[in-house]
Amino acid sequence: MRRLAALAAVALMAAALPWPQAQAVAPVAASDGFTRTKSLTREFVQPDGTTQEVDRRDVTVNVDHTTDLQTRERIHVSWSGAHPSGARASNPYAENGLNQEYPVVIMQCRGVDDPSAPAAQQLDPTTCWTSTKLQRSQVQDSTAAIWTRDLYASDADRQVKSGLDPYPGAACDDNSATFYAHVTPFVAADGKVFKGCTSGTMPPEAAVGSSFPPAEQEAFTNTDGTGDTWFEVRTDVENESLGCSYKVACSLVVIPIMGLSCVAEDPAFASVDAACRGTGQFPEGSSNFANQGVDPAVSPVYWWAASNWRNRISVPLAFATPPSVCDIVDDRAPTPFYGSELLSQAALQWAPAFCLRKDRFKWQQNSMPDEAAFTQMQQGVSVAAEVSGPRDGDPDKPVGYAPTAVTGFAVSFVVDKPDNGGEVTSLRLNARLLAKLLTESYPATARGATHPGLEHNPLSLNLDPEFRALNPGLGSIAQEAASTLMTLSTSSDVISALTGYLARDADAVAFLNGNADPWGMTVNPSYRGIHVPTNQWPLLDTFVPASNDDCLKQNPAPYLPQVAAPVGTLRQIAAAVLDGWPLVATKCERPSPTDPWKLGRVDRQGVGTRFLLGVTTLGDAERFGLHTASLAVADGAYVAPDDASMEAAIALAKPGKKYQPFTIPGAALAKSSTAYPGTMIVYTAARLTELPKADASKVAQFIDISSTEGQVPGRGNGQLPEGYLPIRGSGATKPLYDAARAVAKAIRAQKTPKAAAPATKPAASSSAVAPPAAVAPPAAAPAPTTPVVSSSETPPLVSARTAAVSSSLGGFLLPALLFVGIAGGIFSGFARLALRRRGVR
Amino acid sequence: MTTLADPVGLRRRQQRRPERVAIRPGEVEETVSLVSSAFAMVAIVSLWFVLQALLLSGFSEARDQHLLYDRFRHELAAATAPTGPAVPPGDPVALLQVPHLGLSQVVVEGTASGDLLAGPGHRRDTVLPGQQGISLVYGRVGTYGAPFRHLTSLQKGDQIVTQTGQGRTVYVVDGVRRAGDALPAPPTGEQARLTLVSAEGTGRLAGLQARNAVYVDATAAHGQPAPARGATAIPSSERAMSADTAALPMLALVLGLLAALALAVTAARQRFSGALVWVVASPVAIALSWFTTDVVMRLLPNLI
Repeated sequence: MRRLAALAAVALMAAALPWPQAQAVAPVAASDGFTRTKSLTREFVQPDGTTQEVDRRDVTVNVDHTTDLQTRERIHVSWSGAHPSGARASNPYAENGLNQEYPVVIMQCRGVDDPSAPAAQQLDPTTCWTSTKLQRSQVQDSTAAIWTRDLYASDADRQVKSGLDPYPGAACDDNSATFYAHVTPFVAADGKVFKGCTSGTMPPEAAVGSSFPPAEQEAFTNTDGTGDTWFEVRTDVENESLGCSYKVACSLVVIPIMGLSCVAEDPAFASVDAACRGTGQFPEGSSNFANQGVDPAVSPVYWWAASNWRNRISVPLAFATPPSVCDIVDDRAPTPFYGSELLSQAALQWAPAFCLRKDRFKWQQNSMPDEAAFTQMQQGVSVAAEVSGPRDGDPDKPVGYAPTAVTGFAVSFVVDKPDNGGEVTSLRLNARLLAKLLTESYPATARGATHPGLEHNPLSLNLDPEFRALNPGLGSIAQEAASTLMTLSTSSDVISALTGYLARDADAVAFLNGNADPWGMTVNPSYRGIHVPTNQWPLLDTFVPASNDDCLKQNPAPYLPQVAAPVGTLRQIAAAVLDGWPLVATKCERPSPTDPWKLGRVDRQGVGTRFLLGVTTLGDAERFGLHTASLAVADGAYVAPDDASMEAAIALAKPGKKYQPFTIPGAALAKSSTAYPGTMIVYTAARLTELPKADASKVAQFIDISSTEGQVPGRGNGQLPEGYLPIRGSGATKPLYDAARAVAKAIRAQKTPKAAAPATKPAASSSAVAPPAAVAPPAAAPAPTTPVVSSSETPPLVSARTAAVSSSLGGFLLPALLFVGIAGGIFSGFARLALRRRGVR
Repeated sequence: MTTLADPVGLRRRQQRRPERVAIRPGEVEETVSLVSSAFAMVAIVSLWFVLQALLLSGFSEARDQHLLYDRFRHELAAATAPTGPAVPPGDPVALLQVPHLGLSQVVVEGTASGDLLAGPGHRRDTVLPGQQGISLVYGRVGTYGAPFRHLTSLQKGDQIVTQTGQGRTVYVVDGVRRAGDALPAPPTGEQARLTLVSAEGTGRLAGLQARNAVYVDATAAHGQPAPARGATAIPSSERAMSADTAALPMLALVLGLLAALALAVTAARQRFSGALVWVVASPVAIALSWFTTDVVMRLLPNLI
């Protein structure tokens, strides 16, 4: 209904506005997504001067969301009615996709396509980002310079040298007077013009080996005219030259390549006119594995030529306020909450809703292992912790748990179908397959296969008959990265939930205990009998394969842990899946032949042969548009993470004691065939006593706001992003909502504990100095830090009191030696004296 | 060396003073003489160790620091100074200056007892000094130059300056922390924390009996970005107040060499004059005992 009304309204507006170069435009705007249909043509001028329309297509472009975009967010672009493509490239990004016919060019450009906007904000080929100069500048001899015969080209573009006036021949390494050349310079956000005709004249973000892979694509249209792809948007954080932000408007430009329109044939230009009229050499739907040359008139190389450019469909993009906005506009000291990374995507949208309002405190979310965050909160170092399970705390210091978000973990993946079939969008996994991946039971390569006990196991997941039975039609080339599941090195409730899923599955437990699966695969002996669930997954394998390789001899490290290579944050795993860049650290490299070898992270996987799995948060998976695997549940069913399956899991949750967390009983979860096993509840935990009033009201305010307006699904500030199930005052989540309200009230009240009167408080607290037994890793170690990852996203673990470290040897050694030395000297002296007195010696 | 001092000396003196009565086996005097020699030897060994630990080792540390400073200066100039995370133990990683204490030391990578012989050491599972996060630097309190001798006299507000390959970072001391004190809040955002760790004793001779670890925390508002690091773990020998038992084989070797030297001197005394033998043997003996003391120090707690 609402959509219809919006459609009507926009149609009216469209009728009133003079749309530029629109032959037939029927825009349809949904609330957040974007849809527009445009009629695209290709025309040849006949010798008699008439214009013949050789092709006409009504192309509809859909984009799933275009507003409040965050850093590196992926949006889904789909289209229909386009000319079917041929010569499909396995890698459609940047220059790799140029040798295709009739693809759809998708790129991000600064500016908007709105005649009413000021000239500086108009978009133009010179504000469109490309990663290489091959996409911007062409040099051809007179028989191939087809852009000069473009029907819609301006007179300037028909010249021998065009694009920049005066043409910078020397700067572009082009000193020939006869070759035709066209450059499409790039104008950076700060106004600087990059000529874009050599790799040295491209913007700095386009340098070889830049930190982010190219985002612009030449995507493939299927034979039925439809196609879809995921496009990663870039903000000024990743690409300063492009400079898109919440202040600088940008657009997604979609150019379905129809082929150039051409002027009338002229005998003087016979060969170039013939080239301009090319209609493709490859059949529709074919692949171009050898990267052979294609018909230039229908290739994406000339996306900037006027007759292609006029066929563009531009989609306005609106970016969200960046995470740094709170630091810039609000100079109040933040009140940091520490804890679960599951909350980080929600925090991106929630934090501005606090800091931009003066009547609210400045909330800040910091990721930290749940265990350490809880201890820190209980010792009063921080005011609240975000955890997703109950904790054994000090019974004298009661803690309230307010449900704050329902989300969970996902097994995200990027897997390509064989033979150029595009990306796999769904994958089925069961607990035993996850157990195989986590226990490093796939030997990965021939080197790993020399591991005692792994000789008969398949090399990687995609060769495992169990996996192949569940997911038919995938590639069968062994891959190192396909033998592992990227996971966390630190302790986390996510690991507890993941290993809890294994522990509920009889097959997985039997496998972990050393029983072979029906295909004869056995667990890595280093992990045999490992206890699950656990909140930290250990690296237990110590096998160092023998090798004659110089590098491996210089770096004799256990091999399979290097393949597993766990990291400190789930965000890093999400980025690895997004980039198709495994964390596997087995690449031998050295800066020069005289330097020693070292092992480093392997290269990005080539598009077309990617196979990568990782544990991520559901929030990250949704934000980055990652595909998530369906997990096996009861009755042979497979459940993907979505609102319905999370709600089914929440419906099983049992409330705890007053102010205590809910539990999702494992037995009930194991029996359900609809509940997503990775569902987790994130709680805001804060002390119910002894918390200063000011802090208590901040925590209560946070719970109040996050459990009400923070649970409204949406992409705006203060709203709940995708990947989270809204907690509402009705339905399955009602108990959570009620619990949050009650805990907020109790935290605000801060009742004095009945056990200890205020006067005896110091005594009580000093008797409780010893940290609870549950304190994170080695409490006996030197107190200030325990080894942790030092990224700013995970502050080090902290036990709240300095532990005593002493050495009695260090204390008495030197005084004792001094005493022994002096006493020995004196005794010896006296003895000598006595002997001498008796006349001896 | 000391094992031989007495028998040889005895013989020499007998030759010089032939009028003295020789000791015959079985007499009380023989026992007294033996015990006296043993005690003299124990005294010499003990006092040599104390002398070297407290005084002579300072020279070797000063020499090490001199070389490290030259090397680190060169690396800074050539922009090859390490920025982590994997630096070979023993390499210089930072220059640490505490103006209030007049302290200027090159920090080496690694906190095993042996690494700290050359100066303060950076704990390998933490970020480098100057980087965002928590960085730990260990230093000796009483031996080998005692770089952290006056650490506990630092007060809130004093400055600590580190210079690394990434630049200069000025920390402000938060305070001295001992067992049972509350830990400071972890650094957030761009903050960098430097924790200097040493030991201290109590009572009389406090300077000699460094028994308990003591910490000085300092915070800088803006640290340098730290490179990502995987999960790192360090052996227990690099934790505070722990010893490095890996030095035991080396100790066996040098003690064997000392014994061999003793036998060689005894044998040589039969053929050459005493003066000649000692001119040749003394430098070898001193060098061996110096090296032995260094090895023994590695077997002792790393912060003393």
